[in-house]
Amino acid sequence: MQFAVLVAFLWLFRHTEYSGAQEISPLGHLFFHLDPLAVLAPMISARQIIPPLLPAVFVVVLTMILGRFFCGWICPLGTLLDYFHRLIHPIARYIKISRVLTAPGNAAKYVILFAVLLAAVFAFPLVGWVDPFAILVRGLTFSVDPMLYRAAGTVEPLARWHLLPFGPTEYQWAWLSGAILLGVFALEFVGRRFWCRYLCPTGALLGLCAHRPLLRRVPPKVCKSCDTCSTICRMDALDPAAGFSPERCNLCMDCIKACPQGMVKFTWKGAKRQPRPVDLSRRGALVGLALGAAIPGAAAVARAAHPKQVDPRLLRPPGAADEKTFMNLCIRCGECMKVCPTNCLQPCVLESGVEGIFSPRVAPRYVYNESAGEYAPCCEYTCTLCGQVCPTGAIPRLDESDKHKHPIGKAYFDHGRCLPWAENTPCIRCEEMCPTPDKAIKIRKTFTIQGKDGRPVEIQRPYVDRDLCVGCGNCESTCPLKGQPGIRVYRTDAPDPGTECHGQQRRRRRHHHKEP
Amino acid sequence: MDRREFFEQVAAWSAGLCLATPVFNVAEILAAEEKPKQNPLLSVAKGKDYGALVEQVMKPLGGMGAFVHKGAKVVVKPNIGWNRKPEQAANTHPDVVKAIVRQCLDAGAKQVRVFDNPCYNTRICYQLSGIQAAVESIGDPRAKCVIHVPENFVPVKIQGGRSIKEFLFYRDAMPPECDCYINVPVAKHHSLAKLTLGLKNVMGVIGGNRGEIHQDIHQRIADLSLVIRPRLTIIDATRILTANGPSGGNLKDVKILDTLIASADTVAADAYATTLFGMKPEDLGATVAAAEFGLGQMDLSKVKIVKT
Repeated sequence: MQFAVLVAFLWLFRHTEYSGAQEISPLGHLFFHLDPLAVLAPMISARQIIPPLLPAVFVVVLTMILGRFFCGWICPLGTLLDYFHRLIHPIARYIKISRVLTAPGNAAKYVILFAVLLAAVFAFPLVGWVDPFAILVRGLTFSVDPMLYRAAGTVEPLARWHLLPFGPTEYQWAWLSGAILLGVFALEFVGRRFWCRYLCPTGALLGLCAHRPLLRRVPPKVCKSCDTCSTICRMDALDPAAGFSPERCNLCMDCIKACPQGMVKFTWKGAKRQPRPVDLSRRGALVGLALGAAIPGAAAVARAAHPKQVDPRLLRPPGAADEKTFMNLCIRCGECMKVCPTNCLQPCVLESGVEGIFSPRVAPRYVYNESAGEYAPCCEYTCTLCGQVCPTGAIPRLDESDKHKHPIGKAYFDHGRCLPWAENTPCIRCEEMCPTPDKAIKIRKTFTIQGKDGRPVEIQRPYVDRDLCVGCGNCESTCPLKGQPGIRVYRTDAPDPGTECHGQQRRRRRHHHKEP
Repeated sequence: MDRREFFEQVAAWSAGLCLATPVFNVAEILAAEEKPKQNPLLSVAKGKDYGALVEQVMKPLGGMGAFVHKGAKVVVKPNIGWNRKPEQAANTHPDVVKAIVRQCLDAGAKQVRVFDNPCYNTRICYQLSGIQAAVESIGDPRAKCVIHVPENFVPVKIQGGRSIKEFLFYRDAMPPECDCYINVPVAKHHSLAKLTLGLKNVMGVIGGNRGEIHQDIHQRIADLSLVIRPRLTIIDATRILTANGPSGGNLKDVKILDTLIASADTVAADAYATTLFGMKPEDLGATVAAAEFGLGQMDLSKVKIVKT
């Protein structure tokens, strides 16, 4: 059944992309709705209810009844780790990692959990770094898929469906998400299901819910004469001294098969008092809370020392609310960046500060098409997929006409770069590409000059009608200039460009004040 | 023979060979047999059933069989450049494309490939335009709507090109991969080029930095047309885009004309299509530049127009 769920997850993952329909199945991001941490943390950060809440509540309630079944049966990362461990077991046996490394790890997952939750209270989103689904989806989307595509070579594109990524994708700083995912897998060499046992905060949360489940294991102790179940337990939930821990057990039920006496069973009736206390220690909780306060605190201090307004060139996906709300709702899961058909949604590196790493931005001139010698198109006019897949509503679900009522930004010409303005050379490629039905780029002035070879040349000088512009960025992508394009899109809530240089001067002046 | 004699011999032979090499002075841009007719035949048909209209417009030209030989490797090049639906008149009408592909298959083509190098995301354009579905609905394995492969753009020298001397062209649109190229543009307004018709449809089989073409668009389209010479051009004027082209989007800019224009002479077809917009053939710089090259006849008084 684990396998079936994994296949389902991978199938949904593969189909989180444009496949011919304007609508995408909501099943795609179902897994995020099942993850209680991925739902809880942004709700705390943003101080709003995130629909749909029901799947996560359902999981929590079931966990209180059954135990930590989610980790054993549902979580695709857990399943992948299990398969990986089976693969490396012949080698891992020989790697002796000092026990010291794993010993204090028992409370680590609570440290992480509490840090994330308290930071969320301080409206500082950390969940994206440690949520298992975010780690998995980002790692697969940013690192694995692009490599898979290139490794597949030139398989006929339309035949790639279902198994391989459709087209080449690339993402900024993909190595980081890849490294995090790789790190989680590498920990399998240290111990089986290392991530799940000692680090996963979602697992920690579910573990807390599961500390007194209705479904119980009989016997709750480990038999003195034999400790087979304790050795094979993948979650280290059976300790010869301390007994069975429902908080760790993920209900894989391997111990039932392994018991040479056939004594083990999971039943609704059993010893009421569980002998093993939870891993959460007072110290762990305090350390977690301290971190959860210290990290946002440090960020606040840094911000006070070097106040920065939002970069006017930081474009968020269409419909995203103000920057603060967006940053709090976004769990950095990578789903929007996976589904975007043009690959124009890129993960932030430092464009929105350290706290914004992995959050999506619209990047008109990131993806460069080598053979075309031009940048890939930017936000597709008719597409609304990102809002459909965002699990927290950081990017709202909008239909096509609504999307256009929420511009990503507004375009501005740079008369010092734009060919017709700066060089008296005909162009208006941006006008040609502008996708609004009543074009947002219009011609202000047309005149004729004599060309180099004596032939008359007609020059058309364009301007942006900003009431019509939706900030899709296609003008900026298509500008044939190398380097700085002749037209650029800026945030709608940014100070008016044209005064953009003044803004920079203002910042520079502030630095002067700081100098001794 | 001593060394000196040997060198003298080599020098003499080399000089002789060099001087004896024939030097071609190609005064004419096009060789005689390549030149289009002075009085080309142009067929114009009007009708509501766009599928049947294709047959109707091809009749005066001798049917599709006059252009597609048995075993031909056909490329049907519609305009699939834009992420628009059929009624928005930014792409060639899918019914027209479907009928053309069918006729090519009936004429005995070995394979019929339909593709374009769109301005927006390829899959979205292929889907929204309805053209991919239309080609697939024929159900013949010989006919395929294919996505272009970046590696297949090859540099081609443009002999006689006035503004550009070389550009990247799609290999599958040229011999030997294609021996019958059918050009199926849609007639639209275009701010820079004034209108985009048959000659400008070549933009879909070129690669590289296409934005460079715009810097001298009229002459460069003519230069590109020296390389891509369609055997047949069918201009889709079933509905034309009269403003905000080439992307369109507003149904108010669409004028329904239920017309198809077909000719072996792309320049003549463009000249005629220009009149549908209330303009004169000489208003389009590309038409004039192409006619100057001898690529076709733009004087409509010299064109044999058959209307059905």
